[in-house]
Amino acid sequence: MKTSDKKKTGGIDYRSPEYYINRELSWMKFDERVLEEARDKSLPLMERVKMLGITASNLDEFFMVRVASLKDMVHAGYNKRDIAGMTPKEQLSELSTVTHEFTDLQYVTWRRSLLPLLKEKGIRIISRHEELSAKEGAYLDKYFEEEIFPVLTPMAVDSSRPFPLVRNKTLNIGAIMTPLDSANLLSREREKDGEKKPDETDFALVQVPDVLPRLIPLPSDLGSDSKSERTFILLEEVIERNLSRLFLNYRIECAHPFRIMRNADLAIDEDEAEDLLKEIEKQVKRRQWGEVIRLEVEEGIEPALLHILIEELNVGEQDIYRINGPLDLAFLSKIASLPGYDDLKIPGWTPRQPKYMVKDEDIFTQIRKGDILLQHPYESFEPVVDFIRTAADDKDTLAIKMTLYRVSGNSPIIAALARAAENGKQVMVLVELKARFDEEHNINWARTLEKAGCHVIYGLVGLKTHSKIALVVRREEEGIRRYVHLGTGNYNDTTARFYTDMGLLTCSEAIGEDATAVFNMLSGYSEPVAWNKLSVAPLWLKDRFIYLIGREEMHAKAGREARIVAKMNSLCDPDIIEALYRASAAGVKIDLIIRGICSLKTGIPGISENITVRSIVGFFLEHSRIFYFLNGGNEEYYLGSADWMPRNLDRRVEIVFPVEREELRADLRHFLSLELSDTIKAHVLTPEGNYEKPDRRGKKAVNSQKELCKEARENARRRQQVLTDRVFIPEMSPAEEEN
Amino acid sequence: MKLFAAIDVGSYEIGMKIFELSRKNGVKELDYIRHRIELGTDSYNTGKISYERMDELCSVLKGFKEIMNSYHVDSFRAFGTSAIRETDNTKVILDQIKLRTGITVLPLSNSEQRFLDIKSVALKSRNFHSIIESGTALIDIGGGSTQVSIFDSSKLITTVNLMLGKLRLRRSLSELEPASYSYEELLSEIIENEIHSFKKMYLKKLSIKNIIVIDDHLPYILHKLSGDGMYDAAVQGESDERSVTAEQFVKFIDRLRQMSGEQISREIGIPMESASLLIPSAYIVKHLIKAMEAEKIFVPGVALSDGIAYDYAEKNRIIRSDHDFSRDIITSVENISTRYRGGQNMGDILSKSALAVFDGMKKYHGLDARGRLILEIASRLRDVGRFVSLSTPGPSAYSIIMGTEIIGLSHVEREMVAVIVSSSYPKDISYEDVMESGFDEKNYLTVVKLTAILRLASGMVRSYKRRFNGVKALVKEKELIITVDTDNNIALERGLFFEKTGLFEEVFGLKPVLRKKA
Repeated sequence: MKTSDKKKTGGIDYRSPEYYINRELSWMKFDERVLEEARDKSLPLMERVKMLGITASNLDEFFMVRVASLKDMVHAGYNKRDIAGMTPKEQLSELSTVTHEFTDLQYVTWRRSLLPLLKEKGIRIISRHEELSAKEGAYLDKYFEEEIFPVLTPMAVDSSRPFPLVRNKTLNIGAIMTPLDSANLLSREREKDGEKKPDETDFALVQVPDVLPRLIPLPSDLGSDSKSERTFILLEEVIERNLSRLFLNYRIECAHPFRIMRNADLAIDEDEAEDLLKEIEKQVKRRQWGEVIRLEVEEGIEPALLHILIEELNVGEQDIYRINGPLDLAFLSKIASLPGYDDLKIPGWTPRQPKYMVKDEDIFTQIRKGDILLQHPYESFEPVVDFIRTAADDKDTLAIKMTLYRVSGNSPIIAALARAAENGKQVMVLVELKARFDEEHNINWARTLEKAGCHVIYGLVGLKTHSKIALVVRREEEGIRRYVHLGTGNYNDTTARFYTDMGLLTCSEAIGEDATAVFNMLSGYSEPVAWNKLSVAPLWLKDRFIYLIGREEMHAKAGREARIVAKMNSLCDPDIIEALYRASAAGVKIDLIIRGICSLKTGIPGISENITVRSIVGFFLEHSRIFYFLNGGNEEYYLGSADWMPRNLDRRVEIVFPVEREELRADLRHFLSLELSDTIKAHVLTPEGNYEKPDRRGKKAVNSQKELCKEARENARRRQQVLTDRVFIPEMSPAEEEN
Repeated sequence: MKLFAAIDVGSYEIGMKIFELSRKNGVKELDYIRHRIELGTDSYNTGKISYERMDELCSVLKGFKEIMNSYHVDSFRAFGTSAIRETDNTKVILDQIKLRTGITVLPLSNSEQRFLDIKSVALKSRNFHSIIESGTALIDIGGGSTQVSIFDSSKLITTVNLMLGKLRLRRSLSELEPASYSYEELLSEIIENEIHSFKKMYLKKLSIKNIIVIDDHLPYILHKLSGDGMYDAAVQGESDERSVTAEQFVKFIDRLRQMSGEQISREIGIPMESASLLIPSAYIVKHLIKAMEAEKIFVPGVALSDGIAYDYAEKNRIIRSDHDFSRDIITSVENISTRYRGGQNMGDILSKSALAVFDGMKKYHGLDARGRLILEIASRLRDVGRFVSLSTPGPSAYSIIMGTEIIGLSHVEREMVAVIVSSSYPKDISYEDVMESGFDEKNYLTVVKLTAILRLASGMVRSYKRRFNGVKALVKEKELIITVDTDNNIALERGLFFEKTGLFEEVFGLKPVLRKKA
């Protein structure tokens, strides 16, 4: 019986909308938690600035992905309610309120808190060009002429020139201007009528070029009071100041920056796409033209200018955001990473040598000694790169197969794969072109791999391949042996430095067979009858999770202790939530560590009183997925690439794998218990649907990420000590050996 | 250690398994790649495999070749089964495959294919020998037909081919107009009808306790029964050795009956198109369970590719089998002979005599063990023609043999047996006729040599009353001295022996001399 078929049992309707939180509102709750970090006075200033910058890019993504999708639903007349009982229209309306309030709080934080603090610490950000001193102005005018002017494309709009395309996510300056020969007349008429005549004014637009740095430093000798103070101004302010130089025969009546967000949700009809690659390229180009779903304008914008933008961009009132501050705070990441200011930053972290690995020892030999757990970024990602790199140059390696979702710009893994193909290895790579916002990047390096002789598969029709798996097949003396890396995060050496992820290196025969079957399946061959160890979405994984949760429920009903601990990025799959509610109602103790969206409600009497949800937002981005089931004392630990979301369980290829070596399970046990005891970076979901910092009274202050860094450092130090201490090991006498 | 690839071009799927073959570890499967392509739909419907399917087939085989390269396989074998066999354009298709992919696909006769399947179960399943100690039916479900092989007391009793293939059944039902009957009722009716005669002929005196099923789809059911918490107790044993009681199996099949194709696909976790083939398989087994009143079902999850690999490993002396497969072939041949009233005693004496001659002059005929097996089969089937005609048993035997499947033999080998048997009657067919049978040179020579030996042996046994304790043959100078150890008087044989020696002398240049052991 499917879970959905047994909705009502024992008089409880586990699917009642009142038991669920709308996923979009929950997403915004996550953004609020990040914003809270930016407002946390206990954090170093630059960390707060960075966090505020992150809230800006998070919000952009939210609009492009979720708001856009809801808009599509509304346009399509789709009125179905979500699990929380809201129609798309209701969600949009609620979200408009929430995102407006959120934006206001972002800018309050910027203006009242961070901007003055930066000034206090010697970093002056000039918000408006009118505040420039004469010297500064002169410097910037010269800078404009030499650096900016050549790359600008001013566009005027009149009856013969249509309104130009305003590209997605670009910053622009809109201006109303009057031809100089009618300027005098206009001013006379203005005085007379109190308004201007539209026919006599033109609209002009300049895109703020993204090829130039947004943050322009001013030389320290231009009139600031302190020599140690650094001054910056934003590019759009310099352009605005010099706008009249772009439109020589006009008088600028008003000019204001604005920014738009378009519908970027990539909906490819994969069944119809003859060539997936071309279709994605087409979609990427088309994305620039999507419907405008957000218009950000400067607060106090000239109403006439705003009117033109509303008309031409076809924006509704609820989608307009009047910003009291600089548009697009993403530039804050540049400030946060300014060289120096070490006292204002959290010290950087260097990933350490993994606990179960020895530097300079052959990686395959190490894997043969036993499964290896890697905990990034506490431990280095280098072994994963080394795994592929070694295989590429290894004479015994026959084949390398790998899935790639997002990789870094100059990925050493891509280079190694290409080299492996050149060395005559069979290299098969599944490149997921549908990785959102990375499509263009992915197409480029996929072609590079193809040129090198790799067999590249450009994703699967109708499914995103999100699993992280790499297989190396070697012909060794004893026969063929397969080495596998399975991970919770992408094969991206850059993000592996700040995303918390886990990986397993193994040469288990059972996992090797499964890995081979995964790649056969991804190559278009039939799926296997059964899997030895892996659970694979979309066909089998959800059932497996529901079975595992149901098994805990059965243990609880039989009077045995039952417990689930699950860590993931998001939880919004209704079938899983229902299974969790049932388990909780039966007495299973469930602790969830969910960084982002959580549609489950805690503390519902008789339903979710045994469930706790906490979210950790810290220096690193929590990204690993770990699942623990007590199973009547025969504990089971799983890691994987899947969240408990319908998209992961039903529309993606995901892999969840068990961790069976006892030492590694002990590490996972410790990891989870540490995260569950976090009192500094954790927020606990209350029955009211809010996230609050845990009550720290009587508890030790625990920052789990900090603790894990400490432990990784300690492990590496200890290992190093063992290595250095034991260089000269005396032979024992036979008598000693016997003892 | 050798790496070997076995390719099976089947009716609804092309499969390739990569194996590691070693004396130390035996046959170890490394990889199993399958691609769904319904060649059988073309073959069975139109009699031809379309060019579109052939294109697809070639592209998949090219993919297989790449995978073989990636493993650096040392050797491979590719075989085509009923869809390839039953198409009118077999030769064209195989030629195109060879040209486009470089892979030589050989068509397997049904009997060869089923024999390999038996081999795979016998060699892969650890419990095979203990299972077949009691009455056991091995049901091998294919796209075009189902082979039922009955074992008892560790011996193969008989093997029968039923025209119940899952693709064929699905197609037959799709052609029927929707009527008041349900799909399952129609399916049951067709199956019941087909197994009616089989039941009467073979199941009367036998008690079948176990059923071993070879099928590509039923392992999904066993997996479901073992993987789902609800059924944990139902399935016993591990992976290849899994078994379920007949009752539980039937109960599950009946549960599926209530479901749509989509529901079945979701319930068992298989694609929709596999669900459409799983149902005919499940019903075939269900009705055979009923007919045989079997108690336990084993689904070892073997594929033809396993048989190909085991066969290769056995022939290359990488593995040795405890099971005597030639004995299975001979037992089934004895059963054919019994069906046509061929005397068991006569068959024994004739084959003993023929094999003694064969063994005594290895240097002169140069044939291998396979040739010896063909000779033994021909000896045991020599009398079947008399069932139809006492005056012209040769042509009758030819027709009977050509119309009967002999497990383990290819079509060519079966024809060789038929020609050897019919030509062993010198009055009916002259040995020159063999030339017209269209065999290649090697097979032609084998047929001629074995015909000569069989004719000679038939001259040694003129009465079914004879009892030979032993026969020995030895070449001495230009003579083949055959010494018979018997208490009987062999004056009749000696007197008429010369009638049967002409062909032998012509072929081998040896003069046969028949002696009684002193």
